Amino acid sequence: MSEYVPDERTVKSEYILEVKNLKKYFPADRGLFGRVKHFVHAVDDVTFEIKHGESLGLVGESGCGKTTTGKVIVALEVPTDGEIILDGIGIEEYAVDGFKEYHRKVQMIFQDPYESLNPRMTVFDIIAEPLNIHGIGNLKEREEKVAELLQEVGLTPPSSFMWRYPHELSGGQRQRVAIARALVLNPTFVVADEPTSMLDVSVRTGVMELMMKLREIHNMSYLYITHDLAVARYMCERIAVMYLGKIVELAETEELLKNPIHPYTKALLTAVPVPDPEYKKGEPDIMGSVSKPVDPPPRCRFYDRCPIRTERCAKEDHPPLKEVAPDHFVSCYEVSE
Amino acid sequence: MPVLSVRDLVMHYKTKMGYVKAVDGISFDLNAGESLGIVGESGCGKTSVSMTILRLLPDNAEFRGGHVYFNDGSGEVDLVTLPEDEMRKYRWKGISMIFQAAMNSLNPVYRVGDQIVEAILNHYPDTTIDEARKKVAELFELVGLDPKRMDQYPHQYSGGMKQRAVIALALSCDPKVIIADEPTTALDVIVQDKILKEMKKIQKKLNMAMIYISHDIAVIAEVSDKIAVMYAGKFVELADSITIFKRPRHPYTFGLMSSFPSITGEKKKLFTIPGEPPNLLNPPKGCRFAPRCFNATEKCRREDPPFLEIEPDHYLACWNPVKREGEEK
Ligand SMILES: Nc1ncnc2c1ncn2[C@@H]1O[C@H](COP(=O)(O)OP(=O)(O)OP(=O)(O)O)[C@@H](O)[C@H]1O
Ligand SMILES: Nc1ncnc2c1ncn2[C@@H]1O[C@H](COP(=O)(O)OP(=O)(O)OP(=O)(O)O)[C@@H](O)[C@H]1O
Ligand code: SF4
Ligand SMILES: [Mg+2]
Ligand SMILES: [Mg+2]
Repeated sequence: MSEYVPDERTVKSEYILEVKNLKKYFPADRGLFGRVKHFVHAVDDVTFEIKHGESLGLVGESGCGKTTTGKVIVALEVPTDGEIILDGIGIEEYAVDGFKEYHRKVQMIFQDPYESLNPRMTVFDIIAEPLNIHGIGNLKEREEKVAELLQEVGLTPPSSFMWRYPHELSGGQRQRVAIARALVLNPTFVVADEPTSMLDVSVRTGVMELMMKLREIHNMSYLYITHDLAVARYMCERIAVMYLGKIVELAETEELLKNPIHPYTKALLTAVPVPDPEYKKGEPDIMGSVSKPVDPPPRCRFYDRCPIRTERCAKEDHPPLKEVAPDHFVSCYEVSE
Repeated sequence: MPVLSVRDLVMHYKTKMGYVKAVDGISFDLNAGESLGIVGESGCGKTSVSMTILRLLPDNAEFRGGHVYFNDGSGEVDLVTLPEDEMRKYRWKGISMIFQAAMNSLNPVYRVGDQIVEAILNHYPDTTIDEARKKVAELFELVGLDPKRMDQYPHQYSGGMKQRAVIALALSCDPKVIIADEPTTALDVIVQDKILKEMKKIQKKLNMAMIYISHDIAVIAEVSDKIAVMYAGKFVELADSITIFKRPRHPYTFGLMSSFPSITGEKKKLFTIPGEPPNLLNPPKGCRFAPRCFNATEKCRREDPPFLEIEPDHYLACWNPVKREGEEK
């Protein structure tokens, strides 16, 4: 089935994806009557690029805006402000065909496989649907393709999974169906939102190897959202750390893990659990516990919880991302100046 | 005296292609104040075990036998024998559950805070709404949610926020046992660390028992007193956590424990257990792990090894276990 490879790509830009000053605000009020007065600043002026064939890891606090960033990129949410450019072409230009072409190139693996799979479709229908929509292959070819993917994500034998419904699958099995569906068209860019969060090491390794293999063959790129830094280490060339709607640190993976600079990144690395019941982990150096993204005051977003804050951090607006070492960007007054 | 005593639990799912043997003879004891971790491959039956205990099974599930003895101090009851309306009294207040799927607990059309208020009012009818809302605000703080967002709907929450709301709900009625099914998959490590610590505190305070189901061995190492390793619908090893981590005897446990990806040190080659995950419609004869086992013998492929206590509080199902250091066999 040579049609599966939608290559013949004429690369238009150095980057597969450019995100410029992206903002997404949600109304936070009950909002039944009258004007909305308060907003959740889910994504608040975020800028990054991803090269062809590159994977960028996106990590950060639960609720900091990772999924929202992903949804805006795949055109499921309309940005409040900012630009999304896919391979040199602004996302708005894809609106002409209702984003059909865009969704052939760009896919999202959703965070919650209990909510994202259509309960009335069989595993086969779910995975083959994108092939259907784009008129690729005949029935037999589609069955072969689906079986091949099921095998590769460890749902074996494929014949025993193909005709089941999502409610007849375990959490991690659903997650793998969602992955197979997103990859079936060989997209050029995938937003993978915690794609392996329910998988044990052994099964997860197989899935990550598949994602890496497809990346090699098709020169794909990923925005890989994860809480698992060991996974990010394996999958991603660079990692961006997000806190309350802002990217606070961005660097090459090994550099970030060895030499974290932002106080939030440091706290995050200290809190990584260690698989040893006798090991006593350090306390992450972070204050308070609840972060509040509703109408954040104009100062460093990490101020309330920061162990090294000074008066300046409260007086000035959120610090800009600055290059503190080659390709290592940090947004913090105390460490980046 | 255990608060929960599960014996020979068997539950299969009926499908067009035959029976999925998801729970196939599970036994364990859980004492008050104790934490049991259950680990095992995706699809091995962990969620099914908890749903069978709570009797929250889908239509195509067939309960085939076994007992679930529950004793909160007021006498032992076998939950499998209770009529549904009796059973309901034990759910949430006796045994509560943090579901792997947040949507199993949160109703999309009600505000998140109201749902927890309602749970509290149901089980503590003397509470006023204001008291209940205050308790919910406290629970929100405890799981790291902004109490101001109590009046939002589930779809306005991020994945991890929903998961935290479900944890708050499970804690709201001071249960005797909590079954937490992958409770922290959507949480960053700082929030996860905080919540696991808070749950430990509450557990101590109320002398509550916990069952943690997780694929994340590092999380299990932190929270469990003892660990059950599950493979293809059966427990294959059960012992205190240090034994499981440091001196495992089952070849599957050994494989699970011997390699983890980490963020420090050399970037190791990633670990897989050779071969394919078992087909629960038609599981391998003999030991279900035999086709993937480095120690398998003829006997393993022929006969199913029994789950036996090989030393005090250490249970194992294996014909040819991993040798201990200095041991001939
Ligand atoms: N539809 C919506 N309406 C209102 N608020 C929303 C909506 N979607 C997301 N939010 C809010 O935006 C913020 C960012 O949410 P998002 O889902 O992007 O977080 P996340 O980083 O993916 O978190 P997690 O790791 O927990 O999944 C959160 O405060 C969330 O409550
Ligand atoms: N309603 C159902 N009908 C048929 N089979 C089912 C049903 N629910 C689950 N199964 C199957 O039963 C087995 C056990 O499922 P279960 O959800 O208990 O796994 P699990 O160990 O919790 O996995 P995970 O870690 O991926 O959540 C799986 O192989 C699954 O495909
Ligand atoms: S019984 Fe045999 S096949 Fe099964 S785990 Fe033990 S050695 Fe391996
Ligand atoms: Mg998310
Ligand atoms: Mg499960």
